[in-house]
Amino acid sequence: MEHFPTMESQPNASQQWESSSTQDNIIILAQDLWKTYDMEAVKVDALCGVSFSIVRGEYVAIMGPSGSGKSTLMNLIGCLDTPTSGQYWLNSRLVSELTDDELAYIRNKEIGFVFQTFNLLPRATALHNVELPLIYNGTPPEERLDRAEEVLRMVELGDRMHHRPSELSGGQRQRVAVARALINHPSIILADEPTGNLDSATGDEIMNLFDRLYHSGNTIVLVTHEHDIAARAHRIIHIRDGKIDRDERVG
Amino acid sequence: MHRRHGELFSAWVTAREAFWIAIEALTSHKLRSFLTLLGVVIATTTLIVVMSVINGMNLYIADHVANLGTNTFILSQYKWAQGYQAWLKARQRNRPIRMEDYRYLKEYLTGYKAMGATASDSRFTAKYGGQSLYDVSLAGVTPSMIDIGQQKVDYGRYITESDYVHGAPVCFIGQDLVNKFFPNVDPIGKEVRVGGRSFRVVGVAEKIGTTFGQSQDGFVLIPLTSYQRLFMARPRLDISVQAWNSAQMLPLEDEVRSLMRVRRHLHYNEDDTFGINASETIMSLWKRLTSSIFAVTIGVVAVFMVVGGIVIMNIMLASVTDRTHEIGIRKSLGARRRDILTQFIIESAVMAGVGGLIGVLLAMLISMIVQRFFTSSVPLSAIIVGLGLSAFVGLFFGIYPASKAAKLDPIEALRAEV
Repeated sequence: MEHFPTMESQPNASQQWESSSTQDNIIILAQDLWKTYDMEAVKVDALCGVSFSIVRGEYVAIMGPSGSGKSTLMNLIGCLDTPTSGQYWLNSRLVSELTDDELAYIRNKEIGFVFQTFNLLPRATALHNVELPLIYNGTPPEERLDRAEEVLRMVELGDRMHHRPSELSGGQRQRVAVARALINHPSIILADEPTGNLDSATGDEIMNLFDRLYHSGNTIVLVTHEHDIAARAHRIIHIRDGKIDRDERVG
Repeated sequence: MHRRHGELFSAWVTAREAFWIAIEALTSHKLRSFLTLLGVVIATTTLIVVMSVINGMNLYIADHVANLGTNTFILSQYKWAQGYQAWLKARQRNRPIRMEDYRYLKEYLTGYKAMGATASDSRFTAKYGGQSLYDVSLAGVTPSMIDIGQQKVDYGRYITESDYVHGAPVCFIGQDLVNKFFPNVDPIGKEVRVGGRSFRVVGVAEKIGTTFGQSQDGFVLIPLTSYQRLFMARPRLDISVQAWNSAQMLPLEDEVRSLMRVRRHLHYNEDDTFGINASETIMSLWKRLTSSIFAVTIGVVAVFMVVGGIVIMNIMLASVTDRTHEIGIRKSLGARRRDILTQFIIESAVMAGVGGLIGVLLAMLISMIVQRFFTSSVPLSAIIVGLGLSAFVGLFFGIYPASKAAKLDPIEALRAEV
């Protein structure tokens, strides 16, 4: 695939992008993203001008040691945060300047999160956890249940729908989280260390699930610091000190 | 930017979700919820119990106390239920109503249905066969009072025209005397001693019952002429005038007033030297009294509600802190500020509403108990006000915690300890 020209050399990159032939396929376009945190007196640059693009159907790992800025980058990609400067396009929409509520809408519609700590509501059943994103776009209850059951069966938890997280194993919990990420047919699945809290066998099982999702056409962005997990992806973006260190294709 | 469904429908879906979250949160911490709701429960209970008792007493007063008789007003020396100052003034000017006034009205007043006079005195002792009944009220009446007064004939007869004309030593007695003196005997024809005089029982009244725990059946009625002959030659009278219908009441009152003013030669700018009293007079005094009771209640309830609201706010703040992680999860899944705001405000309102509901049930229970020995009647308006007020308190005091929750940064919230 033809790589998007580096942004530093293209001051008017967004215009060029819109006229680009690959426009329809580009799902993420980041241009010169900066994130600066005000810590008392000092300013800390967590990201220093990061630019990259991700095409629909890609399986990308973002790798870096802790403190490299990969969590900050993940928050930006996941629309949980906005950059201090720079532009971030998600599915042809400039999201770096949206308000909180608009970001919430994007998170609901475009992004499926899978977290290291699963982040399920402890008192809700698997079914209810999975249907949660649908509540926030006002889907009627019957449709919510139908779709939640469907995705839960897809991750092979058809017989665990009415269990609470505490009644499920780690791997099962993460599969509930994956089902929840899938339910709104998001543009990207954004996984933050999805195997970090799992033993290696269960981790493998989850990574196989991601492989399956990739093969069925989902775009996956995986944030990790583990090489063998990152190696599952087809492209690895290495982050170091808030900059892209290396962008390599693998596999 | 379009959501798939209408904004209103979306809000309804979130609100319904929030309702079940609230119910779940309440039932999963029962003791905490109970303590939290105590203030609202007490406030609602107090409000409804007071409203019920006042309402019950209103009905009661209208029924028992203010019931002078249908479409009847009473001419007496003083106007009832006036302020203390007015009464002091009236005491110097007003003159008693006498037999002459009664005869005068009989002669000149026209168009009334019935008119009667009563001279009464209380704290007599009635005696029969070695037994005594204290605190009996004795009244001299005209025979026409049977149509006007509260008493009805159970058996025997009332004071007749013949008794009246002859000043006969006969009496018409209340049920208390029957119970005391004649439990198993026919009282008719027996001689009862009241105030040192003997009276032959000619009739017994129907039971009236009690007013504020005071029996209304301890009375002895004798002919007014006998009263004059045996006790007091020139008694102070109350003259009862009954109109044909309620529309005639005011014109008839006016007529009595002008006749009395003419008789007493009152100048047009002088006040009446007598009082004309109708049921409304008593009711208006009563309403004045209850409105001040009610004002105090409103104050007390307001204090309870504010305290209850603050407790709820406190618990909601704690709940927001406890559930920061949950809020982070919800936000990461696309909950907007207003979704989180709605969730917590509804939770707070539902919590207070449940408190209100408990308060209503408790108040109904108390009202049922009160009714056994006093009077109480729960008005529907009290229930509506109680529930509405408590839900409003929940809404109001939920705003601050909810806005705190809504403003949480999703990243910070996700990072919070579970």
